[in-house]
Amino acid sequence: MQAPELNIQREGIIPMLIAIQAIVLFPLWFEIPVWITGITLLLLATKWLTYKFEVKLPSWLVLIFVFSALAGVFLYFRTISGRDAGVGLICLMYGFKLLESKSYRDAALTLFISFFIMVMAFLFNQSIAMGLYLLVAMTAILSGLVALNSIQGVKGIKHLGRISGVALLQALPIMLVLFFLFPRLPGPLWAMPDSSQGGTGISDSMSPGDIGSLTTFDDPAFRVKFEGEIPSASDMYWRGMVFSNYDGLTWREGARSPTRTANIPSYEPLYSYRVQMEPNKSRWLFGLEQLAESPKGTFLFNDFTWRRPQKITSQFSYAAEAVRYEYQGVALSEFHRRVNLQLPATGNAETRQWSQELYNQSGSTNDFIQRILNIINQQEFRYTLTPEVLEDEVVDGFWLGTREGFCEHYAGAFVFIMRAAGIPARVVTGYQGGEYNPYGDFYLIRQSDAHAWTEVWIDNQGWVRIDPTAAIHPTRVEADLRNRANRRDDWFSDKTIGFDLPQDFLQKLRMRWDAVKSFWDDSLMSYGQEQQNDWLSKLGIRSNQWRYLGYALVATLLLSGLTLGFWLLRKSSRRDQIEKYYELIKAKLVKFGVEIPDHFGPMALLELLSAEHTELHKKFATPIKYYIKIRYQTESTHSADNEWIKRFKAQVKKL
Amino acid sequence: MGLIQRIHEKFYRWVDARLAAQPEIQLRQKNIYILPTRYGWLMLGIIVLILIAATNYQNNMGFMAGFVLLAIGALSIFYTYRNLRQLKIRTLKPEPVFAGEQATLAIELVNQTEQYRASVGLGGNKKQLKLLDVHPNGIQTHQEIFVGVKRGWFSLPRILITSVFPFGIFQVWSWFRSPYQVLVYPKPIEPPLPLSDGAVGDKDGSQSIKGSEDFYGVKEYQIGDPLKQVMWKAYARERGMLVKEFEEKVGEQQLFSWQAVAHYEKELALSYLCYELIQADRKGIDFGLQLPNQSFELSKGNKHLHDCLQALALF
Repeated sequence: MQAPELNIQREGIIPMLIAIQAIVLFPLWFEIPVWITGITLLLLATKWLTYKFEVKLPSWLVLIFVFSALAGVFLYFRTISGRDAGVGLICLMYGFKLLESKSYRDAALTLFISFFIMVMAFLFNQSIAMGLYLLVAMTAILSGLVALNSIQGVKGIKHLGRISGVALLQALPIMLVLFFLFPRLPGPLWAMPDSSQGGTGISDSMSPGDIGSLTTFDDPAFRVKFEGEIPSASDMYWRGMVFSNYDGLTWREGARSPTRTANIPSYEPLYSYRVQMEPNKSRWLFGLEQLAESPKGTFLFNDFTWRRPQKITSQFSYAAEAVRYEYQGVALSEFHRRVNLQLPATGNAETRQWSQELYNQSGSTNDFIQRILNIINQQEFRYTLTPEVLEDEVVDGFWLGTREGFCEHYAGAFVFIMRAAGIPARVVTGYQGGEYNPYGDFYLIRQSDAHAWTEVWIDNQGWVRIDPTAAIHPTRVEADLRNRANRRDDWFSDKTIGFDLPQDFLQKLRMRWDAVKSFWDDSLMSYGQEQQNDWLSKLGIRSNQWRYLGYALVATLLLSGLTLGFWLLRKSSRRDQIEKYYELIKAKLVKFGVEIPDHFGPMALLELLSAEHTELHKKFATPIKYYIKIRYQTESTHSADNEWIKRFKAQVKKL
Repeated sequence: MGLIQRIHEKFYRWVDARLAAQPEIQLRQKNIYILPTRYGWLMLGIIVLILIAATNYQNNMGFMAGFVLLAIGALSIFYTYRNLRQLKIRTLKPEPVFAGEQATLAIELVNQTEQYRASVGLGGNKKQLKLLDVHPNGIQTHQEIFVGVKRGWFSLPRILITSVFPFGIFQVWSWFRSPYQVLVYPKPIEPPLPLSDGAVGDKDGSQSIKGSEDFYGVKEYQIGDPLKQVMWKAYARERGMLVKEFEEKVGEQQLFSWQAVAHYEKELALSYLCYELIQADRKGIDFGLQLPNQSFELSKGNKHLHDCLQALALF
């Protein structure tokens, strides 16, 4: 069965296709390489010019362009697979397809491909704004399809736009049902090639300046919702990575492996919470210290960090518990002792000596640590984002020289000093603190909350968290940093410095918006198999979940489909009254003895009356003429029709 | 190919057998069919692609877009279906035509509902569809044209009514047949020699033959008047159906018989007779027709002409 296919050379169809392509490509223009953006723009312009001046590009020329663009993609990306190369390639092909569009078939193809192109933009951005843009683009594409399939073409765009808008609105509830009930898979179908874009966030190594550069980013790192008790913000240490390997400049992760629950000390739970991660293109997760049982699909490593097998490329959420480990009677293995005492063979000799001297004066490990923290607090140690850059002998230069720096300077130097004195210690990085959002009841942790602190092994106490940065005297903290840090309620120990942030309108607004964003990210964009499991389990469905999802899906879809179907067909089943009134006229005529043959239309009837029943003609001509007017006058607008219908009814009633 | 064609033919024969031929057909669930078009399948493919990508990249916006499209695709069944649903098709009785002329069938799409019917295609052939919009409570008329009709009764073929509006992903269609047949008269051809041998009676008025087309007057149209004499221009100005009347010649008469043309080939013979009958009618003289199986007394008027021509058409 061949469908009716209209000509696309009709007025306005080509410019409409150009406009739709521009709308669909718009969000991608900011993501794809500039030269591809340029070419797609050029293709759109070319299409418009060829349309306007009615010229035809020779097909060999187009072919040459296609191949050079293909070659360009390959040369630029060195591959044609992978997300970025793929997106670039498809964008180019999309442009070329429109350029050579001549028939209904081509036009329909470009419009349907537009749906896919639109979705590609979501790989880069899943914000609320993008969601709204999706609606705009969808409406545009659907209107394009309607115009393509309508004899009214683009001229009827108002009417057609309404049709597609209404269709979209009617599709939304069904979409929501499908979205929440459609069985989800736990992970990707196949491993994805690494994206060439790096994520923001803390990195997998630490050298002076790394974390400091993050403090200028206000981007959200993750959001946390607590269930039940909430620790104070100054106790919120979000553990990410542990660095035990030091080469004199950079701290890196040491030997580490996934651990089995049997190998970890006993613990008691403290807080339970749920984390909503922003995609950070890395594998590590953050959790409130201490970390024990890892979230589903992730692993607990023996340095008490969590790791995921795949990178976090989209919104990802997990539930977890903060615990307190019980180290009584637990000894550090020889292997770990060695790992956490490792220092480069040479370098920073002065600090090593200084450390050993101080240790010898101290009564115990605890006393030693306290002495160092006191030194940081009492002496001229300053907290600044712009410390003097040290080339070599970094620890000596900082600890005994400049005495200014950021958390990684303090954490790094502290661990160095501990190790120099023979105490196992390591650097921990992650985030500290969090901003409470009362509208969404969650804590927002930003990139600027990135932090580094340390852990020291103390016999019978286990790994003890020491944050040397927090020991700095508040008066020696850079002013704007102090403001920032004060969000972490009195994190720098002197309470007198803290003051309330102005709770002005703008800030409230920002928090509200953040709550909306959090809902979008937390409830919608990170919805997945785990969440599906969760609410099903809460309903008591723990096994055969897919089957129940299937039942629910079919049931709701059938029900909503039937009601919606009934609603959609209502107009086409409402039998109009005009026909009833006309039947009335005919019935009356029959009463008067007029024989009306079956195939007689109103015109024939009128002629019959005028020829054979002059008396009746006088009486009946006007209503019949009205009837003809209403029925056959198709050009009139709908409201005018109604006027005529009224008159017609009045006439019939007079009979 | 042969097999497919045979299946095709068989299928349409089956369809034809099922089609009730009525002057007025109401489209309803029973006689409306719906299937995805190839673009519908394309869209389904794209939706699947989007959902796979969304699963793979754990991209919930992708899921949303995919599911919205799926929903729109499903709803399109209704959107397209309601374009034909409860639409009434009325075929009007077609006028007789002469062989070689084109026969026209007037089809009225009667929309007795509040639903706007957009881009409804109508035609005997799927490649020559005429697309129409039918307003709520409106009627649209379409003249379906058939060419190359042969003498006798011409059965009107099955006609397709279809729509892919609004998105072109589903096609809804129905077939219908008009119960009427078109009577096709023989093609009028002027005989090489006048068929005078059958003429009877006096030819007094023969000198005034040329004046026979003298315009005489105007009267209102009555059923049976020759359509060729309708004043169409006046009709277009909404002055009603008026018919030109010509001076009638009294006393002249002509009888045409099969004998006079029997020596010609049959179709040609019928064509000659047809021509002569029309000429006689034009002149306004009494004429008669004698065929081997049938004969018509001397008479005049449209009905008489039609009866004679019908006899020729069905001979």
